[in-house]
Amino acid sequence: MLLAVNTHAFAQDENEQLVKIRVLPGKGQISAGEEIWIGIEQSITPQWHTYWQNPGDSGTAPRHDWTLPKGFEIGTIQWPTPKKIPYGPLLNYGYEDRVILLQKLKAPETLPASPLTLSVDVELLVCKEECIPEYGTYEITLNGADAGLEDNTAYIEAAKKKLPQKANWKASFSEDEKDLILTFSNAPAETFSQAVLESAEFMPIDWGIVSNPAQAELMLEKGEITLKQKKGDRNLDEIKNINGLLVFETEDAQRQSYHFTAQPHTSSIMTQSTVEGEIETSFIQAIILAILGGLILNLMPCVFPVLSIKALSLVKNADKEPKHVRMSGLAYTAGVILSFLAIAGLLVAFKTAGAQIGWGFQLQNPMVVGILAYLLFIIGLNLAGMFEFANPFANTGQKLTQTEGHKGSFFTGVLATLVATPCTAPFMATALGYALTQPALQSMLVFAALGLGLALPYLLLCYVPALRSKMPKPGAWMETFKQFLAFPMFGATVWLIWVLSEQAGPSGVLAVLTGITLIAFALWLLTKRSEKSASNRGLIALSILCFIIAIFALPNRSIPQTQTDTATAENTFGEVFTQEKLDTLLAETSNPIFVEMTAAWCITCKVNHATSINIDSTKQVFAENNVTYLIGDWTNQNPEITKFLDRYGRKGVPIYVFYGAKDENGKRPEGEVLAQMLTPQIVKDAILK
Amino acid sequence: MKQKLTFAIAAVAFVFSGLPAWATVEIGKAVPNITTTDTNGNPFNLADHKGKVVVLEWTNHQCPFVIKHYETNNMQNAQKTAREHGVEWVSIVSSAPGRQGHLSAEEANAIATKSGATISAKILDETGEIGKAFGAQTTPHMYVIDTNGHLAYAGAIDDNSSPNPKTVEGATNYVLAAINDLKAGNAVQTAQTKPYGCSVKY
Repeated sequence: MLLAVNTHAFAQDENEQLVKIRVLPGKGQISAGEEIWIGIEQSITPQWHTYWQNPGDSGTAPRHDWTLPKGFEIGTIQWPTPKKIPYGPLLNYGYEDRVILLQKLKAPETLPASPLTLSVDVELLVCKEECIPEYGTYEITLNGADAGLEDNTAYIEAAKKKLPQKANWKASFSEDEKDLILTFSNAPAETFSQAVLESAEFMPIDWGIVSNPAQAELMLEKGEITLKQKKGDRNLDEIKNINGLLVFETEDAQRQSYHFTAQPHTSSIMTQSTVEGEIETSFIQAIILAILGGLILNLMPCVFPVLSIKALSLVKNADKEPKHVRMSGLAYTAGVILSFLAIAGLLVAFKTAGAQIGWGFQLQNPMVVGILAYLLFIIGLNLAGMFEFANPFANTGQKLTQTEGHKGSFFTGVLATLVATPCTAPFMATALGYALTQPALQSMLVFAALGLGLALPYLLLCYVPALRSKMPKPGAWMETFKQFLAFPMFGATVWLIWVLSEQAGPSGVLAVLTGITLIAFALWLLTKRSEKSASNRGLIALSILCFIIAIFALPNRSIPQTQTDTATAENTFGEVFTQEKLDTLLAETSNPIFVEMTAAWCITCKVNHATSINIDSTKQVFAENNVTYLIGDWTNQNPEITKFLDRYGRKGVPIYVFYGAKDENGKRPEGEVLAQMLTPQIVKDAILK
Repeated sequence: MKQKLTFAIAAVAFVFSGLPAWATVEIGKAVPNITTTDTNGNPFNLADHKGKVVVLEWTNHQCPFVIKHYETNNMQNAQKTAREHGVEWVSIVSSAPGRQGHLSAEEANAIATKSGATISAKILDETGEIGKAFGAQTTPHMYVIDTNGHLAYAGAIDDNSSPNPKTVEGATNYVLAAINDLKAGNAVQTAQTKPYGCSVKY
């Protein structure tokens, strides 16, 4: 029944081999395009052993060299979890008694009708005290006369159970003077009791990163598992990532094994927690998510008015040459993308310098917030009709944002990006989380994609005349609409001043309001210029002076305080987040915990908070289920919160994490990350689940 | 579990048995000195060889991996090339008495002569003291020491870890590459690889 034949056994009698080989195809028949498993079984003489892919201090891994019919493909060997086999001061990783190494065989899209012969040269090293290499060539026939009878499913299934599982954990590595330190930050902590941890072993797939015979020391601390083992011969600085298995015995004595890849500790990890479950973001996915996120940004309250102005100018210029319109679209896109790249560049530079910052970081500086407030105020005044944008230095009267000026389009792009930064659109978090863990080039490309997404609607309008013709006809309504748009701008200014008040207190508010007054005065001065007056110079100088004073009046650093109480001041419930408090609650209480990370400048956060959390029905759900509610405020820099965000693969706020109540065994389910755009129902579902 | 306990006991026993300590040597750092007597009865002091590049070869004539490199003359050719470059080549046997590969001085010399090895010296390290001081794991396990007595290369003889003699052809010899780099006054490009072979029979 078994079709494996040992054709020749290389200077050794088959009966004398210490390892008996059988080749076990999952089944005897294969159809075109089908994939089946093939196992190579080693029956090893008692007390002898063969080797794993990393043989440890000595030995060598077996090799399977296949000769396949045309078009067939064979996958890499899937290695079952090995045993540690000590020998004197050395240690090996290998197999005793019996092991099946699995490989996937894939048939081509067209198959001949005749039986198929496959052969494999197996080379392996088998050792006890001494080592003996063994070689053999084995043949199997698929689709032969008795093919229907052959069924090794049971062998294959049993072998698959011995393969390590893929761990969806975040793993990172670092080192101290003598040890390699592996940290697993979202491993299912509840499965790791002290007994389980004591049974745990680390099996490195890469060589030389630990001393193989040394024992691993494991600790469970703050929901993180750390593993320490004496370092090996290799310099860890040169290692990009570490592959290995974490093997342990569960309380019911089941041997479990997880395969993980650990990244260096400084850059955090790619695995993203999302509402849909664990997914790994690929570069392409990140680019697509970034474009989508950028598109949605257009609809965010901060960007919409700016974009409207742009669209209005397009309506006005509907009869302009298409070439001109297209150029202005390109200029706008360039403005947006370059601004995004500038922000990304800064972000990457700061990150490289080791700063704990994330998306929206620029708004953690009150000076930036103040300048943004000025800018929105100026645009508001312009929309309201107080003045027209002109170039005061050239005195040409060219109207920058309203006419065909490509420079104007470019700067509208810059402006759109600036005002977009407080917003986080759906999909953006994942894309940015990915971007900031990547090398600079990939990181920049994701940011550029985000910019492209933001610029896309206007770009399309410029390039597709059919879309433009769908727009309303120009008319008197435009002036009215334009004036109306001034009010969202003033609203945004008010909000930014409030953000500033959170960062810099009453004196900051005084500075920014003084500045706003000076700016209004300066603009008024500029409108008083006359074409030929000699006093123009003086007017311009005075207004510039006003601008300069306005900007330098702004506070450039936050009042030192750990977190502003934006969270608690406006809420009658909730406690200020600290990691220590969360750890204590997680460990010592059994009640559910809801963590919200927010910032005064984050509009998405504010909207979520107002519509879904700070409402009676949610408060009631919290109260009825004894939910402890922690709010972290990231308005100012706060490394602890940045770290928390990092743990969930995020680079910005908001994030909502719900930790369910402990079950009767005292185990707490893993924290669940809620959607970026909350509804009361999402919050309720998470808690009542 | 049981196996683990046995290992733990063995490990503890090892630590307290007063055996020489296990150490590893780092690339670019000074190597431990070796002072002993070679198989010809001559004193050997590694420190005396400063100013010359020295290759250490851990060997066990019964190990299939060692056999692979000697039957194909791969090791002898490497020794010859190295010696022509003025490099010292020292073979070390760390097999304990009663273990595979353990030899008397006469047997060791006979094997060296028969195989046509052109080595500077052969050392028997029954206690494993030298092997453990260098962290030698396998036969073969190769070390190249530069003229200042610093470790320039440690690891495998070449890049094919198969025991099959057929795989010698086409493999890259790391030891010769390291010697070439040193002779050219360059840093050794591949300074560390995973050693492969039989375990040293301490």
